[in-house]
Amino acid sequence: MNIMERLKKAWWILPAVILGIIPLIFKEKSAYVSGILIFAGIYIILAVGLDLLMGYAGQISVGHASFFAIGAYSSAILTVKYGISPLLAMFFGMFLSGLIAWIIGRPVLALKEYYLAMATLAFNEIVITLIIEIEWLTGGASGLKNIPSFSLFGFTMKNNLHYYYFVWFVVFLVVAMTIAIVKSPMGRTLIAIHSDEVAARTFGINSTKYKTGIFVLVNVFASVAGSLYAHYMGFIAPDDFGVSTSVNMLVMLFLGGFGTIYGPAIGALFLKILPELTYFFQDYELLINGVILIIVLVFMPKGMYGIFVAMKRKIGFSRE
Amino acid sequence: MGEYSHLFQFFFSGITTGSIYALIAVSLVIVYRVSQLICFSQGEFFVFGALFMATLISKGVSLPLAFVISLFGSMAMGGFLQWLLIRRIQGSSIGNLIVMTIAIFLALRGLALIIWGRESYVVRPFTESQPITFMGASLQLQVFWIAGITVFVLLLIWFFFEKTMLGLAMRACAENPLGASLMGISVNRAAFFAWAWGAAIGAIAGMTICPLLFTQYTSGVMPMVKGFIAMSIGGLSSIMGSVIAGLMLGLVESYTIGLISSKFSDAIVFTLLILVLLIRPSGLFNSQR
Repeated sequence: MNIMERLKKAWWILPAVILGIIPLIFKEKSAYVSGILIFAGIYIILAVGLDLLMGYAGQISVGHASFFAIGAYSSAILTVKYGISPLLAMFFGMFLSGLIAWIIGRPVLALKEYYLAMATLAFNEIVITLIIEIEWLTGGASGLKNIPSFSLFGFTMKNNLHYYYFVWFVVFLVVAMTIAIVKSPMGRTLIAIHSDEVAARTFGINSTKYKTGIFVLVNVFASVAGSLYAHYMGFIAPDDFGVSTSVNMLVMLFLGGFGTIYGPAIGALFLKILPELTYFFQDYELLINGVILIIVLVFMPKGMYGIFVAMKRKIGFSRE
Repeated sequence: MGEYSHLFQFFFSGITTGSIYALIAVSLVIVYRVSQLICFSQGEFFVFGALFMATLISKGVSLPLAFVISLFGSMAMGGFLQWLLIRRIQGSSIGNLIVMTIAIFLALRGLALIIWGRESYVVRPFTESQPITFMGASLQLQVFWIAGITVFVLLLIWFFFEKTMLGLAMRACAENPLGASLMGISVNRAAFFAWAWGAAIGAIAGMTICPLLFTQYTSGVMPMVKGFIAMSIGGLSSIMGSVIAGLMLGLVESYTIGLISSKFSDAIVFTLLILVLLIRPSGLFNSQR
């Protein structure tokens, strides 16, 4: 193994370093910049998880925001109403999300394509309705206020910088885990299920077990993102977790590049930074998002990651 | 009598919303049958039809003329979108096509926001008169317009698909695209007409309910979702099934709001959907599994 190959293997250090020094570059504006990047980070966790579920396991979800909501509300309710420590509340949210995902995963994932899309969308609506209606616990439509800051082993996160480094640490963890899964035999099993479930079953793969397993894992990721979101915002309302949020995640997925893990991360980053660049267009944001997505679908179906790969190949860094 | 008049009231409001759900479901089914695609942007035609008609009326155009102009405008828009966008990515994965309709949904919604802003619009009822009382329930005359127009549209669809050459050609494309194209039927053109029809029916739903519902740029989502539900319960490709399912959905919703709780009605409806999907994934009214 020569030095070039070793460098290639360690390429991830470069984005890590860049992200690490971004707050230092933007000195006086760093609170603002890191604020945007915290949101982007939270959405990367969601989008990468969704890609594992849709891009690899081939299970459509139009309700990914539901477990984002369950995580956020677990953290918020436990810390605000019962004074439990944020870390413990986050673990409880992960456990609860995993449990619910495990219970509904088996029957729901037996559905295919449009039916699965409908069922996940319906589940998202049910979660939102329940949050709005169980007012004594969740604060109803007006939401929950005064969620305490996240604290870790006695260290309380007071400002954007603390959250920035913590959220992006979690992002790296989640992406690394996802990549490890994709490259493991389990990743190949998922791809097999995706391309032909009947064939996969014929080869003795227990597809139900794998699909449910990945569904649980992905929703635990979403729950973590929800906890981070709740503590960073300090305020959550049901509107943050509706079907439109789920649709936004789909847009990130396809904008970045379906089934590539890094692609959706780029898509999430782009879609969270874009409104900041076009803030003087405000009302035009929806239209711009729609048009960008249309252009991507028509002219570059592999998404932004696809362009990146094509460029890399042209410059000659490809493996062949 | 007092008890029963409530039940009648719920029945009529159920039929009203149910007709709207049925129309949206039918517009989805038509697109689905010809191009095996569920169009997530269908609710936007509902909004465009209603808001365009409201604007025309406020500019002094008479109601029937505004209705017709808005109808053909939406029809042209549906066909144009199919020609401009869907045709281009025909043949790519089903996921891409779904996301394309989501993109169209975002773009149209954004366009509606720019044109009409965040205000809500309402138009005058098609015939202006006092609500009439029937069996103790008070009824807006618009309810009869909605039911009548729904029946008329359904008859028209039946006639189109059963009796006209173009309708038969579109059905052939739905059954077997390759076979149809070998017989000299342009599958693309069939899809074009399906989108135009779908958009027109979606717009009709929006325009007929507009006197009873404050419509704004975000109003398209709920009818679309309910239309999907009706379509799924009806078995995706059955027009009759989705009409029955749409009416049932309206009734279930109206009675749960009236008798159980207005709060949980959506949760109950969605739970019903998941149950139906789990028990009979191919829909309640689909004979072939």
